[in-house]
Amino acid sequence: MLLAQVIVGGLLLGAIYALFSSGLTLIWGMMNFINFAHGEFVMLGMYVALLVVVWLGGGPATFGFAAAFALFVLGVIVYASLIRHVMRGPMLAQILSTFGLALLLRYTAFWIFSANFVSLPQVSLSGTLNVGGILMPVPQLVAGVAAIALTLGLHLLLTRTTVGSQLLAVAEDRNAAMLMGIRPDRMQALAWGLAAGSAGIAGALMAVSYPWSPSVGETFGLTAFVVVTLGGFGSVPGAMYAGLIIGLIQALSAYWLGPIYKDIVVYALFAALLWLRPQGLMGKA
Amino acid sequence: MLLSAQNISKAFGSFLAVRGADLAVAEGEIIGLIGPNGAGKSTFFNCLAGDTLPTTGSVVFDDIDVTRASAEVHARAGIGRTFQVPATFEDMTVLENVMVGAFLRHHHRGAARETALRIVEMTGLTRQSAQRARSLGTPGRKRLEIARVLATGPRLMLLDEALAGLTPTELQQAIALVRRIHELGITLVIVEHIMEVIMTLAQRVLVFNQGHVIAQGKPRDVVANEAVIEAYLGRGHRRRRRETP
Amino acid sequence: MKWSLPALAALLLFYPFILTGPFYWDIGVAFLLAAISASAWNIVGGYAGQVSVGHSMFFGVGAYTPLLFYHLWGLPPVAGVPAGMLVSLVLAVAIGMPTFRLQGHYFSMATIAVAELIRIFVGTWDLVGAAIGLQGPAVGRAWWDLTFRSELPYYYIFLAVLAVVLYTTFEVERSRFGYYLRAIKAGERAARSLGVPVRATKLKALMLSAVFTSVAGSLYSIKTGFIDPESGFGILVSVQMVIVAALGGAGTLFGPLIGALLLVPLQTATNTWFGGGGSGLTYILYGGIIVLLARYEPGGMHEWWQRVAPRLMRRSHAA
Repeated sequence: MLLAQVIVGGLLLGAIYALFSSGLTLIWGMMNFINFAHGEFVMLGMYVALLVVVWLGGGPATFGFAAAFALFVLGVIVYASLIRHVMRGPMLAQILSTFGLALLLRYTAFWIFSANFVSLPQVSLSGTLNVGGILMPVPQLVAGVAAIALTLGLHLLLTRTTVGSQLLAVAEDRNAAMLMGIRPDRMQALAWGLAAGSAGIAGALMAVSYPWSPSVGETFGLTAFVVVTLGGFGSVPGAMYAGLIIGLIQALSAYWLGPIYKDIVVYALFAALLWLRPQGLMGKA
Repeated sequence: MLLSAQNISKAFGSFLAVRGADLAVAEGEIIGLIGPNGAGKSTFFNCLAGDTLPTTGSVVFDDIDVTRASAEVHARAGIGRTFQVPATFEDMTVLENVMVGAFLRHHHRGAARETALRIVEMTGLTRQSAQRARSLGTPGRKRLEIARVLATGPRLMLLDEALAGLTPTELQQAIALVRRIHELGITLVIVEHIMEVIMTLAQRVLVFNQGHVIAQGKPRDVVANEAVIEAYLGRGHRRRRRETP
Repeated sequence: MKWSLPALAALLLFYPFILTGPFYWDIGVAFLLAAISASAWNIVGGYAGQVSVGHSMFFGVGAYTPLLFYHLWGLPPVAGVPAGMLVSLVLAVAIGMPTFRLQGHYFSMATIAVAELIRIFVGTWDLVGAAIGLQGPAVGRAWWDLTFRSELPYYYIFLAVLAVVLYTTFEVERSRFGYYLRAIKAGERAARSLGVPVRATKLKALMLSAVFTSVAGSLYSIKTGFIDPESGFGILVSVQMVIVAALGGAGTLFGPLIGALLLVPLQTATNTWFGGGGSGLTYILYGGIIVLLARYEPGGMHEWWQRVAPRLMRRSHAA
């Protein structure tokens, strides 16, 4: 039954990957822009959760919301001060902008928080559920389910609400959207806020179960790249499925090959995808 | 036939930008392509130039099937094109832009430079040859695009609204340039909205509307055609025939 | 700037005799190494506009093979340099072929992922020293082991390599290949319409860049006598190459030199000032510089000077 447990664990973590990757793919699909600092948004969400718990003593709902909100604001600020200006410029400037931002955020975090791994103090969620012989730690279970719910929520927001259709209109055809009275600038800022916010809350969800340090941003960023490539350019549903798959593959790799190999396999999968099926599951060829 | 495009369609998702369009161009012709905005002319051009893969149909150039070939192959085969929104190499000088074109036929810098200088002179860009492309206005950029593609030594040139936005003087110069290009033996297909250009240059005109060709013929006949007028002005519009004195 | 080329050459040649002693020679060597790596990156990242943020993979390969040849077979490290170049070439093709037919982001993402992949993998592979890394000969057995006590011989070897890289870049710039690279950077779609073989050209650029970067890595490990996954394949190695080239002016011949001239002394200074926590603050600074460059002056100092110099000339004439 250990294998079943590994599978479940992988899927639960994969759900969180799906959550933060959906933001990345939203931006990519909408603005043809890859955020190289996306992993750092997740990492910062984890630290926001820590600070809220340590200073305010809040519970999961509190620090979850705080992480989402803080990162939403950061996302909008990053868009308004940086992204908006480099978007239409040369590719070098676009890639350097978020790449530089990633370094800035990562090493500032190293400076403030040091390189030591930290974890959240014991939270209200604890214990382990036993479902048919499979042991599922409650925090991970709750985090995974919450992540799926939030990813679905984002998808519904995009496809069923007015705001969502406005976002998609801008993604589809910026000029046409403007003619319809939609302000692309506002929509793009909103998209950045949503993407960063979902990364932040994903971080908070992960903080519940896993220790971290400022170095995790780099790994999460790369994981997000793999997930969005597997899921397909701009597809939030794709990111959802891909996240789960990647989480699963990672867990199985760790189980069968050893913990060190979990990232190697994922990155190797990425390389294979680029060769064989770059459009991923749901992208157009 | 130098170029023969048959039953070209291009679908973007469920939207059919081009539907069953045909075009046959004999060597040495000047063909005009007119039609309202959004009629699919540029998309059709993109299919002819290899920039876009047609959903159906075939494009045969000089007896070679280039339907699925890339834009690079099209260019090497002898099809050149300009872009509706000029796509000059902004940070390179005018001369360097043209040299990129010239390098298609010459591998060495010296020869490419010579050809480029010749064409820069022919297109009246000598004064600006050392300036960066970004310092030119739109008319200058359009002229640069023509010079650049001319340097590739094409047999067929597809000009996409290359004469738009010019002052009357500039327009006359541009028309003269197009004539000179034609005299070099280059076949031309021109998309234009400016009727003067079509009437003076085109030997034959195709009218595009909603993705396919709705009329063909000599310029005079085409502009008097009911279907064409309807396409531009909409159904139910009272026709006003302009009497030529 | 034409008169300054002989002056520059003279300055570089005689620098060790102008500023003498291990401290200055050390900075000189660091400057040359930074200039070589950045110039190598510049070919594909600056001229062709294909932004690799994982170039450390080529550097690391070039750094490991010499010490591996020594470690496994007792050969002089120099013997491993061609092998490094070959492996880098293969790696370049493996990454370039699938990604250069896709939009630009895929290439950038792939470079960072593959660099990480190799770094982690090498860290687990005992044959190449795993996490501990490899060492070169502690004491040279003969001159061809290239273990010099003084920095001076390294300085001149590095200088010679820099000259080769710069000369190659110069020739590329003037050639059909160079024009095609710049066209691709300036507008891929337009380049295609003019018959530029985009994918093949990008691939050639990456291969050339990879080979030079590999040599830079080899120089590093031969001089230092040590390599490990972090110093070979770490992301900071990639960052260094990018920022040096971009700060000076990506896509220009002397941009990487200018960038190295500005950053190497800066790095030495910050390491001294900030002491132990120095490297952390240095990279915060690097991140900030990169963001500012991207936002305000993507063309780097070269572009900035081009804009500012005419105005300065006018002022000095008016005065």
